[in-house]
Amino acid sequence: MNRKKIFMLSLVVILVSQCNRDVSFDESLPALQPSRLDENAGTWKMIYMSSPGQVAVAAPLPVSDPSYQSELTSIKDLQSKLNPTQKSIIDYWSGGGVLRWNQILRELVARYNLPPAPLADGSYPVPDAENPFADPNFPFANPPYAARAYSYVAVAQYEAMKAAWYYKYFYNRPAPYTVDNGIQALVPKTALPAYPSEDAVLSGVSAELLKSLFPAAVEEITKKAAEQRSAALWSGKAAASDLSAGLSLGKSIAALFTARAASDGMKTAGGNKAQWQMLVDNAVARGEIPWLSLDLPSRPPMLPFFGLRTIGGTPVGVKAWMMTDADIVNDRPLPPPPTASAEMQDQVNEVKYYSQNLTRERLAIVHKWADGAGTYTPPGHWNDIAAEYIRDARYSEVRAARVFALLNIALHDAAVACWETKYYYFNPRPTQMDPAIRTGTGIPNFPSYASGHSTFSGASAAVLSYLFPSSAQYFSDQATEASLSRLYGGIHYRIDCNTGLTHGNKVASHTITFAGNDGAGN
Amino acid sequence: MLQYAALDAYTYMKKTLLSLVIAFNAVPAMAQTLTDGIMMGRGKLCTGLMYGQENWSTYWEGTLERSNQNIGTLQSQQYMWMGIYGITDRLNVIGSLPYVKNHTSGGTLHDMEGLQDFTLAAKYRFYRLDSDKGRFTAHVVGSFSTPMSNYTPDFLPLSIGLHSTNLAARVTFNYTFRQGWFVNGSSGYTYRSNVTLDRPSYFTNNTFYETNEVRMYDVFDFNVDAGYRIAKWQANLTYMQMNTLGGGDIRRQDMPFVNNMMNASRIGGVLMYYLSKPKDFAVRLTASSVIDGRNVGRSTQWMAGIFYTFHFTKTE
Repeated sequence: MNRKKIFMLSLVVILVSQCNRDVSFDESLPALQPSRLDENAGTWKMIYMSSPGQVAVAAPLPVSDPSYQSELTSIKDLQSKLNPTQKSIIDYWSGGGVLRWNQILRELVARYNLPPAPLADGSYPVPDAENPFADPNFPFANPPYAARAYSYVAVAQYEAMKAAWYYKYFYNRPAPYTVDNGIQALVPKTALPAYPSEDAVLSGVSAELLKSLFPAAVEEITKKAAEQRSAALWSGKAAASDLSAGLSLGKSIAALFTARAASDGMKTAGGNKAQWQMLVDNAVARGEIPWLSLDLPSRPPMLPFFGLRTIGGTPVGVKAWMMTDADIVNDRPLPPPPTASAEMQDQVNEVKYYSQNLTRERLAIVHKWADGAGTYTPPGHWNDIAAEYIRDARYSEVRAARVFALLNIALHDAAVACWETKYYYFNPRPTQMDPAIRTGTGIPNFPSYASGHSTFSGASAAVLSYLFPSSAQYFSDQATEASLSRLYGGIHYRIDCNTGLTHGNKVASHTITFAGNDGAGN
Repeated sequence: MLQYAALDAYTYMKKTLLSLVIAFNAVPAMAQTLTDGIMMGRGKLCTGLMYGQENWSTYWEGTLERSNQNIGTLQSQQYMWMGIYGITDRLNVIGSLPYVKNHTSGGTLHDMEGLQDFTLAAKYRFYRLDSDKGRFTAHVVGSFSTPMSNYTPDFLPLSIGLHSTNLAARVTFNYTFRQGWFVNGSSGYTYRSNVTLDRPSYFTNNTFYETNEVRMYDVFDFNVDAGYRIAKWQANLTYMQMNTLGGGDIRRQDMPFVNNMMNASRIGGVLMYYLSKPKDFAVRLTASSVIDGRNVGRSTQWMAGIFYTFHFTKTE
């Protein structure tokens, strides 16, 4: 009887431990069947390139050509031998290349979003682009770095998709599954011309940019890009010559953007000791308490010259996409209350109230939006939100690319404008003003005014509301919640949050003005 | 035989006290709770309150031991109720409920405190063999624990627990010599339910997850101890090992995560004294230290408690 009981107990334990607790890590995507093909996307307004035909694509061979026919034969051969791994690769990419690359980028940002660890002497090493595998890894994909990365990939993809559409409808070569009845369509069939292959264009433009932004991830990036082209081939969507023309076009367009990135001001955005001291001296000269790092040991400020246009007479600052230097300065929020003022004390007291009353409900909001180290950052969070709308709208690759481009242009410009504001005013965090303020998440290592989360969220909500007007209220509510999460967490004053939201809206208006006249409609 | 009876009431407490060694607050309370080989007699209820502290100022980031000025020293204060009731001489039920408060001496992160997990367990002695030299016993334990408040597991090292619901099974062997020396060995396997976070995505173990659900891996543990009990005194030493059967390391300069592979080896000891007056009271002191670990703090812990035994059935 004892033995029986032991057996029963063991059985229960074994059964329970066999329950499937595995968590799937991919955002699952249904196979893309675009609601419309956007045949005229080759006429939509370009952002950085002079025209969709700026990079030449040679005419394809006619479908009757023996060399093309042999490409079709090889597709049939491949389709007859597809193994389960290859089928799962087809399924993965059938969800849409633009959405998949956005997911991949979010993952890369999360992986590389770790600040360097301090050395024994209390100093911090600087990630080195020439030695990206060393500790600390290059890059440290913090919010400004991430905003810039999302924007480069998104804008380059969007320009590349418009170029692809331009040539597709210029040459009008159908997809293999349309040309040859013997070729199966293993993805939803469309009438989109196949030359050059949009999948190959995306693989080339995305992989080249990602390799320059995240050089230590070269292996997985290269593998993903190759799989995307293979999926297009195996699924009967593109022939070998459609792919090679697409890959070449994508890579050439990527080169235009990596050239821009090499001289966009990022290299000097970290600054040096003398320049950091100037920021402190300037604040003191204005009669204000200068910001101090609250990291231990004290850490140099995060990318102080990402936004500022000049320091000590030296021009600095990362280029925006839709804003000029004058726009950035003109749109800068008015100053926060002086650090010694009673008004500022009221702001501090309110933060202290929330610190002392950190309810579970508010902590959940703080953590929902924390998006700190080791995450895809606030720009990534808004990309995550946008991805669901793109998926549900069943947008074509070119229109999906447009959404991410417009969103990430606004997010990058928000990063530039917000960082300009932060380092222009160099305002201390609440805990610096009152050390009794304990925080529900880590204190970001840059000045307080205005809130980055709020600026990013204000800009994102504005762009997404323009693109998906029926959900405007939802975007606005989410932005407000993201903004207030920083007050609840004890890391921002209310004035930082409110000002950031307004500033973000203003920044986005430059992007929305462009979008209103880009020929794409909504 | 009288000697055994006298020991009954208090020996249960031993492992529960040690179990409160938090790593990153990770130790499933039951995994180390019911590890000894003595049963509470029928109709007796032993219940007590304990207070303890656990501190660490270095932790293992993966296998790299480091300090972190933004944490300084992590201090955990624990208040715990527990009770043991002998349904029969061979079947006991045990319950416990801790209240935990965590604080860091460095940095700015907010304290976390609250009711942690309620544990309910049944312990069954399925074998006993007496001889001239002593007594051998073998036991099985089944236990269940679940969070008693909506605390977050996503604010380590300040989170007060990991917020999973656990089922554990354990087997224990004990040999006690008539002179009072004893040796004990116990091993358990804990099944942990998945947990949910307040955020929609997370990165761990080199993978990005677009979900708020986190896979929790099972935990295997064993401990061996040896000691001596005579008259009103008890003293013993314990070695304990806990291994999480999955999960990733804390990355360089990253925060700990709820499903990290938290492993710990510790040594500890127990001192206990049975008061003559007032009758049926006992006091005890325990201490332990993590001597090696992975993704846990190198903690030192002590606890002190007072217990009282009710006799619902007249014995002897």
